[in-house]
Amino acid sequence: MQGSDETVIVTRGLRKEYDMGAEIVYALRGVDIAIRRNEFIAVMGPSGSGKSTLLNLVGCLDTPTAGEYILNGSPVQDLHDDELARIRNREIGFVFQTFNLLPRATALHNVELPLIYAGVRAGPRRERAARALEHVGLADRMTHQPNELSGGQRQRVAIARALVNEPSILLADEPTGNLDSTTSADIMTLFIELHHHGQTIIMVTHEHDIAEFAGRIITLVDGMVASSDAKLSSAPFASAAPPVITNSS
Amino acid sequence: MSLAEAIRVALTQIWAHKLKSLFSLAGVAIGITFLIAVIAVVEGMNRYVQEDFAGSLFGVNTFSVVRRPTVQTGNRSAEEIRRLNRNPYPDLDDVAAVRRAVPSARYFAYRDARRMSQVWHGERRRRNVRVIGGSEDYQGTQGWEVEVGRGLTPLDQQRGLKVVVIGPEIAEKLFPTASPLGKRIRLEAHRYEVVGVFKRKGGLLGNAWDAAILMPYETYNQTLSSKRDRVLEILVKTNNESELREAMDVAEGALRVSRGLRPGEENNFYFQTSTQLLSAWERINNILLAAVPGLVSISLVVSGIVIMNIMLVSVTQRTREIGVRKAMGARQRDIMMQFLAESSFLSLLGSGIGVLLGLGLGKLVERLSPLPASIPSWALATAIGLGLIVGLSSGIYPARRASRLNPIDALRYE
Repeated sequence: MQGSDETVIVTRGLRKEYDMGAEIVYALRGVDIAIRRNEFIAVMGPSGSGKSTLLNLVGCLDTPTAGEYILNGSPVQDLHDDELARIRNREIGFVFQTFNLLPRATALHNVELPLIYAGVRAGPRRERAARALEHVGLADRMTHQPNELSGGQRQRVAIARALVNEPSILLADEPTGNLDSTTSADIMTLFIELHHHGQTIIMVTHEHDIAEFAGRIITLVDGMVASSDAKLSSAPFASAAPPVITNSS
Repeated sequence: MSLAEAIRVALTQIWAHKLKSLFSLAGVAIGITFLIAVIAVVEGMNRYVQEDFAGSLFGVNTFSVVRRPTVQTGNRSAEEIRRLNRNPYPDLDDVAAVRRAVPSARYFAYRDARRMSQVWHGERRRRNVRVIGGSEDYQGTQGWEVEVGRGLTPLDQQRGLKVVVIGPEIAEKLFPTASPLGKRIRLEAHRYEVVGVFKRKGGLLGNAWDAAILMPYETYNQTLSSKRDRVLEILVKTNNESELREAMDVAEGALRVSRGLRPGEENNFYFQTSTQLLSAWERINNILLAAVPGLVSISLVVSGIVIMNIMLVSVTQRTREIGVRKAMGARQRDIMMQFLAESSFLSLLGSGIGVLLGLGLGKLVERLSPLPASIPSWALATAIGLGLIVGLSSGIYPARRASRLNPIDALRYE
């Protein structure tokens, strides 16, 4: 899969306006981007530039006011709620800054969540969730609840949950925003490894050193794409073999 | 999301917030407790009245002539009650008149009776007994069976022999070790030979009869009667319903003649049938069964509102969770199902607790009073059904609200 230039995401003139009553906020003012399979993208920009709005639209959590959004070749901008839910379930994995794990559920059950909504039966569901947790190095934390895990471990659970249904895109909104620098590096190492295995990643961040891990940085200013730099090497660690992930976080 | 998963999540939630859950289901539990307890008692009384009371006291196609009704049926004015109380007791002349008027009766019997404070055998004593002087057919009209010895014979009756058949409770008390047959018991200054012991009847009515002493009417009349030739009750059983009507008409005429009543004068006696008794009970029954659903539904509506409010709070508290679930691909109906399952389970749990408490209450009434308790299966089905209805209807609004939350707003909710 690596190196494929198949296009996963295309947006044309994507606009999003919020009617705040007294005034209309133009969050996105015509965004054109194209993202190929297995790209690792960092979306940057000052606050209020529309980063999160773009991520919400790309993640099908919201629909644009105008413009086109083509995901895996089919337009999704006009889809109904439940169809969007299906796309979020099958095509998109979310990783949030605040992890957003269900507090009373075990790590395993948290990871099972997308599979539950995909209608996977209990047996294979548990098996796949367990494998996803092993993959992020949390094989021995499956029965722990989020409050028994460190921040880095929680984010790994969230990553396992995002990936368990094998989505075409991993969307990460400030994934290291709540983590210290060592743990952040661990999480980024994990991202790079995923990228190496062919995962398409779009990550919103305002930290330059984090963005440096991505292969391309899209910078938004005032709701429009200011720059979209493709770098020569996709990431600092990209040429080296990804370091072995341990669950010390 | 499968229903099983929705139920699993619902149960986890209910268990995680035990106290909150308890408060939300308390209303339903109380309403259902009340419903089940009342139904248990009403049904128990129903069964008792129909199977035990009316049946053994009268039986079908039977009427009795009495001074005044033993059970108040319908609304009577004070004037009417005073008039009934002035009626003379039937006597042997009335017995003769009715017997002549209804020669085709299947059973014809009469009796007098009194309560006596004690019966003796040597130094042994049983307090508070019921002494009945019954005519030849009387035992048959009551359906009493003899356990040991024999019943009363026509010869006992004709000769007025001082023989008695005693109830099992008296036999136990007076003759704890030996057989009572051939022994003598003493009532006031009179002595009687025991020829038989009745089979235990048990139950509400049985308790009274199990401590009864039956002797020939003639014997009673000569020894214990408080007023000679008095009869408490004349019992006539006919072969069928139409004969019953006819026999009552003829007997009424005969009694009026023998008592010398002028045309237009009110009867100074009263005819009682099992149908009358049953209809009186039915009226009480209907009032109860009409009032209960009203009271129960008020309490269920209130508890539905309680559950709805608690679910609304729960939706607000779990907004973020709903956002996460939606981001993971939960559709509107998945979220809806999750909250409906929770409200339904709360309510079902409440009605389950209510059923148990209601049964317990019914049993308690059974223990403390002579009334039996009986729970028909339709009452259980109704309780469960009501629980489900309350749960679903109180859950719909909160569940819809949860399912329609915008995923972004829900995820951002603090």
